[in-house]
Amino acid sequence: MKTILKIALGIIAAIGGFLDIGDLVFNTQAGALFRYDLLWAVMLGTIGIAVYAEMSGRVAAVSGRPVFDVIRMRMGFGLGLLALIASTAVNLLTVAAELGGIAIVLELLLDAPYSMFVVTAAAALVLIVALLPFGGIERLFGYGGLVLFVVIATVFHQDPDWGAVAHGFVPSLDSSTLYLYFVVGVFAAALMPYEVHFYSSGAIEEGWTEENLKENRLNAILGYGIGGVLSVGLVIVSGYLFHPIGVEPSDLGTVALPMQGAFGETGLLLALGGILFCVGGAAIDSSFAASYNLAQFLGWEWGRYQGPRKAPRFTASWLVFLLLGIAIAQSGINPVEITEYSVVFSVVALPLTYLPVLLIAGDRSFMSEYANGRIATFLGWLYFAVIVVLALAAIPLLLATNGGGG
Amino acid sequence: MPGTSRKRVLSPALGLLAAALLLTSSGCGDLSNDELNRGVESLSALAAQGQLVANGVARDATKTTYARAMARTLGEESEHEAEKLADATLEEPETEDQRHAAVAVAGEISGLLSELQTFPGDERHGELVEKHLAEAQEKADAIVAQLSGDAP
Repeated sequence: MKTILKIALGIIAAIGGFLDIGDLVFNTQAGALFRYDLLWAVMLGTIGIAVYAEMSGRVAAVSGRPVFDVIRMRMGFGLGLLALIASTAVNLLTVAAELGGIAIVLELLLDAPYSMFVVTAAAALVLIVALLPFGGIERLFGYGGLVLFVVIATVFHQDPDWGAVAHGFVPSLDSSTLYLYFVVGVFAAALMPYEVHFYSSGAIEEGWTEENLKENRLNAILGYGIGGVLSVGLVIVSGYLFHPIGVEPSDLGTVALPMQGAFGETGLLLALGGILFCVGGAAIDSSFAASYNLAQFLGWEWGRYQGPRKAPRFTASWLVFLLLGIAIAQSGINPVEITEYSVVFSVVALPLTYLPVLLIAGDRSFMSEYANGRIATFLGWLYFAVIVVLALAAIPLLLATNGGGG
Repeated sequence: MPGTSRKRVLSPALGLLAAALLLTSSGCGDLSNDELNRGVESLSALAAQGQLVANGVARDATKTTYARAMARTLGEESEHEAEKLADATLEEPETEDQRHAAVAVAGEISGLLSELQTFPGDERHGELVEKHLAEAQEKADAIVAQLSGDAP
């Protein structure tokens, strides 16, 4: 019973770490612009993150090494440093976007100045991290994020054309650059590198060993799977409500409109609450991921479980990343715009993150009987090929579509 | 903020990228027919989004803080779009009438959203704003149809 409860909690925590401002924005925009046509890309991205999260969690549990340790070990200092710079830049933009996201939701709920809420949001995160243990932080945002299931209730309330929805899961080719840009965006939003950085480091924080491998697999498949269901729900509700009338969502508040349409003020409040917990959890995950990477690459003591006294440089770097995130969020850049750039630029960093994980997880001399089996190897290389193609296409598509502006 | 700070302002790095984009895609500040079209489509999209917000107010199915903040943000985006359209030099001077009409529609949308921002808890105002935004969207769509040669 205790094991089942622990697994259930892990699954919930995984949901909290999956949906972030990038998923909320790109999936809503994808539905508004292309109705249900990009559901297959959401599904593809969800399977991809589950495959690589499972691998990174397995490597961490078996070897005690989180992702960035593996990157440095497998790729050496030069390429490792490149990966560190790329992922830190993307993580920093993500932290800023998530802080901005929290501030926007608070502004929508309380109608006070945005700039005040950015600082308030960061202060609240520091307080939460100071007061709660690692597992408690994960559960707080995981449980809170569950209220976003109002999106699924909205799907059934809308009762869309289910045939068209089903057809959306069949990959379709559209030659428009905007469509291809959104394929990249939706896929990349699901596979943001900070997610595996945080997931694998979290496995070390929680002291996982080989005994936790089943838990790891269930967390990765069900946790990210349920997160994927919510992403699919966002595309559907947006495609149903926004696509026919030509709405182009450009603000985080727009994400909540379909739930308001279905359930009035209650739906609106549940949606805004769910968004708040999702972006709050992602702010913590991405800021921790930035500090994990730096500490692991430079060989510092790291981990929330160690506390500030035993891991002072790790703790200080986390605060610095948070402060830099505040500075970016306060600079006047639209958080949604920061999100779009961070998601698309993250695609370029994806191969540097995922190749070392794939190589180590498949290395029998390192992982012995826990190395990738045939299915994991096949899926890992298949996804890596997709990641490389998207990494090459991401920047040209960003330029060609004027950042998704058409 | 968001009023002012959530405007689409880019950081220096992103600004460089945007400048490169503008140079390559918009002919150094001139507004092409496609870009004018795109700007008017954005106005139509803003009017559509405003209708949904106003509908929430009309049905008493929203939170006033949400309606006010959304109306403010959408209104600012509409103003920003109007400024962009008004300031640019047209590549094709024969579309001057459409540009003027688009700027007028942008002003109309902005004014309606401002009214919603002032009365986010008034159902009657919500109903009227929703209706007028629908009319503004029709006007924007008509301009798009003229620009793309689909008008009757």
